[in-house]
Amino acid sequence: MPNQVAYRVYDFLKEIAPFSYLQKEDLLRVASRVEVRYQPPGTVVFRPGEPPRDRFFVVKEGAIELFSEDAEGNELLVERCGERDIFGIRPLLAKDNYIFLARAAEESLLYAVNSEGFRDLIGTYPRVLEYLATSMAGSSRYALEYRAAHRPDRAIQADEPPDLPALQSIHQSREPVICRANETIIDAAKRMTEMNVGSVVVVNDEQWPIGIVTDRDLRRSVATGMVSRKAPVFTIMSSPVLCIERDATVTEIQIEMIRSGYHHLVQTVDGSDKSPVTGVVSEHDLLLLQGNSPAVIIQEISRARTTAYLRELRDRAERLLGSYIDKEVAIGYITAVMTQINDEIIRKCIKLGLASMQAEGHGNPPALFDWLALGSQGRGEQLLRTDQDNALIFEDVTSARYNTVKDYFLKLSDYVTEYLNEVGFDYCDGDMMASNPKWCLSVSMWKEQFTNWMTETTAENMLNTSIFFDYRGVWGDGSLPDKLTQHIFGEMKFKNTRFLASLASAALQNPSPLTFFRNFVVERSGEHKDFFDLKSRAMRPLTDAARVLILQAKQGNINNTLKRYEALAKLEPQNAELYREAAKAHEVLTRLRTELGLKRGDNGRFVKPSELSQIHRLLLRNSFTPVKEIQQLLEVRFQLNYIR
Amino acid sequence: MSETSWLRRIQDRLTGNGLDRRADWPSWYREYADSFQSPPPPGTPLHELPVVVLDAETTGLDVRRDRILSLGALRVSGNSISLADKFEAYLPVPDGFDGSESVSIHGIIPNSSRYDHTDEPTLLAEFLTYLGSKVIVGHHIGFDVEMINRSLLRHGAPPLRNAVVDTADLAKRLRPAGYWTPRHDYGLDALAKRYTIPLSDRHTALGDCYITAVLWLKLLRRLAVKLDRDLVLGDVLKR
Repeated sequence: MPNQVAYRVYDFLKEIAPFSYLQKEDLLRVASRVEVRYQPPGTVVFRPGEPPRDRFFVVKEGAIELFSEDAEGNELLVERCGERDIFGIRPLLAKDNYIFLARAAEESLLYAVNSEGFRDLIGTYPRVLEYLATSMAGSSRYALEYRAAHRPDRAIQADEPPDLPALQSIHQSREPVICRANETIIDAAKRMTEMNVGSVVVVNDEQWPIGIVTDRDLRRSVATGMVSRKAPVFTIMSSPVLCIERDATVTEIQIEMIRSGYHHLVQTVDGSDKSPVTGVVSEHDLLLLQGNSPAVIIQEISRARTTAYLRELRDRAERLLGSYIDKEVAIGYITAVMTQINDEIIRKCIKLGLASMQAEGHGNPPALFDWLALGSQGRGEQLLRTDQDNALIFEDVTSARYNTVKDYFLKLSDYVTEYLNEVGFDYCDGDMMASNPKWCLSVSMWKEQFTNWMTETTAENMLNTSIFFDYRGVWGDGSLPDKLTQHIFGEMKFKNTRFLASLASAALQNPSPLTFFRNFVVERSGEHKDFFDLKSRAMRPLTDAARVLILQAKQGNINNTLKRYEALAKLEPQNAELYREAAKAHEVLTRLRTELGLKRGDNGRFVKPSELSQIHRLLLRNSFTPVKEIQQLLEVRFQLNYIR
Repeated sequence: MSETSWLRRIQDRLTGNGLDRRADWPSWYREYADSFQSPPPPGTPLHELPVVVLDAETTGLDVRRDRILSLGALRVSGNSISLADKFEAYLPVPDGFDGSESVSIHGIIPNSSRYDHTDEPTLLAEFLTYLGSKVIVGHHIGFDVEMINRSLLRHGAPPLRNAVVDTADLAKRLRPAGYWTPRHDYGLDALAKRYTIPLSDRHTALGDCYITAVLWLKLLRRLAVKLDRDLVLGDVLKR
């Protein structure tokens, strides 16, 4: 029978993942086998190379520091585990020896949890395994952790309001329409028509799906006369098919479709193509399930006549964003959707601005121009409404006309930035807006400006570079931004090394947060004392590094951080792993920031360690590793240790 | 056991007779005595010495009159307290004690079905098996040991043979009473507060054991720092 002390241990553990996933009786059993270990400061819990103990550890009070040793035997602080942190779990899953040195930094009490009893539970609780697998260093840890942290319990899910279709699984209402591989195309087509469906699944003797034939396949092959209607279906079927489990949620299906590019997914008994077919889900089925879709919002934006309505639509988009975040839709997809919506709003504001200019008698634009989105919106990764960063570029005009033309565009920009402000995109503190005479320039003047930035590598110029280099034309003629890009890469032929090195060096100015106070570097003073600056300490280093590396690779047309890392991974296979980790870390951070921002109604930039759940802390901490590694890569590649 | 034989045993005890006669001991005490190894020499390093932290909840503080209600014990070896390796037993409240003030202290409701009650000889027998020859540690442990010895005596057995360490004594040695530390500051509550040990489950035998066990480990470390060497048993035994 569990005793009071075991209950106390239980009370402590039940708040902590992965123990929180266990049923009460199971956790009580674990708790009553706990050994409480007292570690005076400076004493060692385990050393690298020691065989694994039969226990892993939870810090009850105090702090344990984990060190790795370099070749010379110097200790490097890897992690500081505070109250409620778990360490030494490697032996639980792998029979490896310890890698780190664990030593008490303070007088500490540890709960040493019996591995054996715990290991037995892993089979019963898949989430525990997921959690453990992710807390150990592994390439896919971020995504996995996120899933482990966010997968709603089935029981809770049942209580969710029914207006969250994405959480529901599609229980297909009809029998799947199937045929055999050697049936003729015309027979299959007839059956599709009879059953009024858009696809037929081709199965083998055991009813396993071996292919699929859709309307599109029929149109492509038969209607064009390329294949005889009497030919067997296997000649035109798509194979293999992509399978999913019967209880996959709408979001899972959606993500799978976006990821794979397939329009039809086949549901089978166990989710593989080695089990009988139970149904089919098409993209169209999904669309019908979706009420508040981005398409509707974008349509409404184009119909909007006032900024008040635009603001309302942007609020709706924010709710959509919230539901995407809840449902763990891939960040790549979310940013694509939100960028579309933001762009559409910007375009609408420009149109409203042009209309106002007309109304005031300023007439039509006196020259071709393009509106440039800068910073995060330029990179297409803005999710929450942040300050607006924008600029305007117009075609070269004679010097006699220059001032008049510029005047017109400045006035236009005044309107546009005002409208954007009304929609909820605050004015930029640094006045990096098209309404600023400095950032409303002709093509030639912009070229000069960029050349200047690339030549005079002052700190201020580097900051400007980090904002302006991520420009993207949102509305206008469309040809002017390309001219600028060509110019920049032309200039780089001459200024490459020094410019990139300075840019890289600027990217290192926010050191990655590897020393911890209870796992975090918090701001030491100022308005955000005791907060962790998510943007400048974790996201910015990743964004900055991606920019430098992609500029070095001369890939000017890619200006999204995730896409940049994707491209870099292809260009440099030797570093592909690191780039992918960096992209994942950026994704996790974006998600975290958005989640916090939505919860608090701000931009989510500053986070108080105490407002994070344990899994969030873990996620955040793990994302620091790629930040640090990418910074090391910059340092070596641009030989920054010689410069500084 | 009749009253006369009980009285005779007391007399024998007082006159030095009777209880020295092995044959009269209950069998469980004989087993304890047979396997008992003489107390470890004072030079034994403490970190090699497993101890048993003990706490008894009683009907009151009068060793002559009051009775044990529950006994809890935890084994501490080196720097570890094993929760699986615990001892915990409850006795029914004896006649004439029900509803007494003790209920309000440790919340043991007389003869509550919440606990598996045992009887005194069984409790003693099981406890002696658990205890073996290990050093006993406890807070104001003299009282608890005396309660157990009285109980042993009632059942015809001689007293405990184990070496005993009092954490209250240890705390006093580390920080003697004086102007800044009034005498009552050596209670478990005050010490737990001083050494930042959360006071949950106070006044359950096992809960107090746990608090005492953590206190014991923390005190040892402070004593080792003070003496600037690894501790031996002699350092903590009452002087």
